[in-house]
Amino acid sequence: MSRNLISTGAQRLFMGLVAAFIATPLVVVAGVSFNATRRMSFPPRAFSLTWYREFFTDADWMASLRATLTISACAALLAVIVALPIAYAVWRYRSKVSQAMAGVGASLFLLPGVVVAVMFSALWGVTGHIGRIENVIVSHAAVFLGIPLSLLAVGFESIDRGLLEAARTMGAGETDAFRMVVRPAMTPYIVCALAYVFVLSMNEYLIAYMVAGFTIQTLPIRIFTNMRAGYEPTMCVAAVLFMVVGFCVFGALAAIGDLPRLMGRQRPLHD
Amino acid sequence: MASLGAVAAPSRSRRESVAQAIILSGPAIFLAAFCIMPLVLLVLLSVAHHDEGTLWAPAFELTQYRQLAEPTFLRVIGFSLFLAATSAVATLTIAFPAAYFISRMRRRAQVAWLVFILGALSLSEVLIVFAVQVLLSTSGVLVKTLVDLGVMASAHSLYPNFGAVLTCLVYLVLPYVVLFLYPAVSRLDEEMPQAAATMGASPIRTFFLVTMPLMRGPLVSAAALVVIFTISSYLTPLVLGRPETWTVGVHLSNTAMEAGDVPLAAAQAVLLVAAIIGLLALVRWIGRDRSARA
Repeated sequence: MSRNLISTGAQRLFMGLVAAFIATPLVVVAGVSFNATRRMSFPPRAFSLTWYREFFTDADWMASLRATLTISACAALLAVIVALPIAYAVWRYRSKVSQAMAGVGASLFLLPGVVVAVMFSALWGVTGHIGRIENVIVSHAAVFLGIPLSLLAVGFESIDRGLLEAARTMGAGETDAFRMVVRPAMTPYIVCALAYVFVLSMNEYLIAYMVAGFTIQTLPIRIFTNMRAGYEPTMCVAAVLFMVVGFCVFGALAAIGDLPRLMGRQRPLHD
Repeated sequence: MASLGAVAAPSRSRRESVAQAIILSGPAIFLAAFCIMPLVLLVLLSVAHHDEGTLWAPAFELTQYRQLAEPTFLRVIGFSLFLAATSAVATLTIAFPAAYFISRMRRRAQVAWLVFILGALSLSEVLIVFAVQVLLSTSGVLVKTLVDLGVMASAHSLYPNFGAVLTCLVYLVLPYVVLFLYPAVSRLDEEMPQAAATMGASPIRTFFLVTMPLMRGPLVSAAALVVIFTISSYLTPLVLGRPETWTVGVHLSNTAMEAGDVPLAAAQAVLLVAAIIGLLALVRWIGRDRSARA
């Protein structure tokens, strides 16, 4: 019994250390963002929202924020629009073609960011379509396609085929069955896929930089440029913004969907 | 009845394949243009002719591949592999027990941890590198604490060096690895460890002697994931390291962006992709070998 207690304690301690490891840099940056002085000191000397005011009134930061949000929203939408028919065909027809397409679609996600960045900068260079915002959108959608493909596959597999069969037997046509059974079951998974790609695209630096970095300054690009030029407190505000959006989005996903299941847990989890 | 079914079946399957073709035509165009085309282009570029003015001209030459065998680049590969192996060991040491413990928590705690890890995973590499830089800088909290404790004689910055690069890489890849191992550890059979516990083995002993060998396949795959991520990492070695701690990833993007030698960068990328495919094949082979023997 006492041995069990010790190992529970050791486990708690270990997980506490892991949590501290992950949280420390984030807490430091968040703390610095509330500093009253321009110096990069932690813990903050005096609490102030100066840098937040400066961030949200600075035209350049706001332009970057707008560009970033536009890119992420469009990339998420595009990735889901491409992934949805593929995932549906894999589930509905179980055909070789659809499975091969799902494989190709997921492949870029497995490649290193640097390779993908070089690839896309070459592609846009060859087509002569350089430095446009849609380059970043399409590149992000292609890279993150693996996310909606796998999340939507989990979603389709969760649909009870018996229910679908029952709807058909009761005289519902293909469209009706789709509307009554498939669509409601898939909605949370679609929302999750959209949110996941949105957050990843928002945080992506290298591809955005190589594809259109010289004309479009997304938030990560602007933070990095500032970082190389020297410390600027408004950078911390941008960083806090990222954390808040990321944690809120995944928190919201946990509220609407079964997160353990989405992350691949197969055994049901009670309590 | 039977004949009716036989007549109905082909027409239904034809209707289904038409429907499927309609549904998949849009995604097929997207995949061909933005997933397959860039890969083909990358291979074509790697054998193109490097030209100072126009960056590259269509050709078939192996100059770039010959350049890959130069000692300076081989040293970069060697260092990258060393860094990759070190970070794989460090990451798995933390990630595997963490994923295991998380999968055994109660639902609420488990969901909270998953949100926390997904949130950390999504954070931009730029952001993490910046945060680590703030943390390790001369005026940072860590340096001050170490000086106050007398561990450090005088305040000086804790980067750029190998340790800073390694720590930041582990930080970046940790959430991916925990989430990668999560499905496998949550599927893990409880009976064997329970049997070991009944026979008097302590939980920690059970963990290392029973649980861990069962996880060999997923652990090898997770290690491969860390290796791929590390050898191609860019921002972390660039900011927190010195030129001698730069990875293949840093050299690759410098070749493309600063030197403007797109064909050489493409050849380096092709090499990287080939190495990754080889690594994944090896991982698959190891996994299959074990399960066949078990």
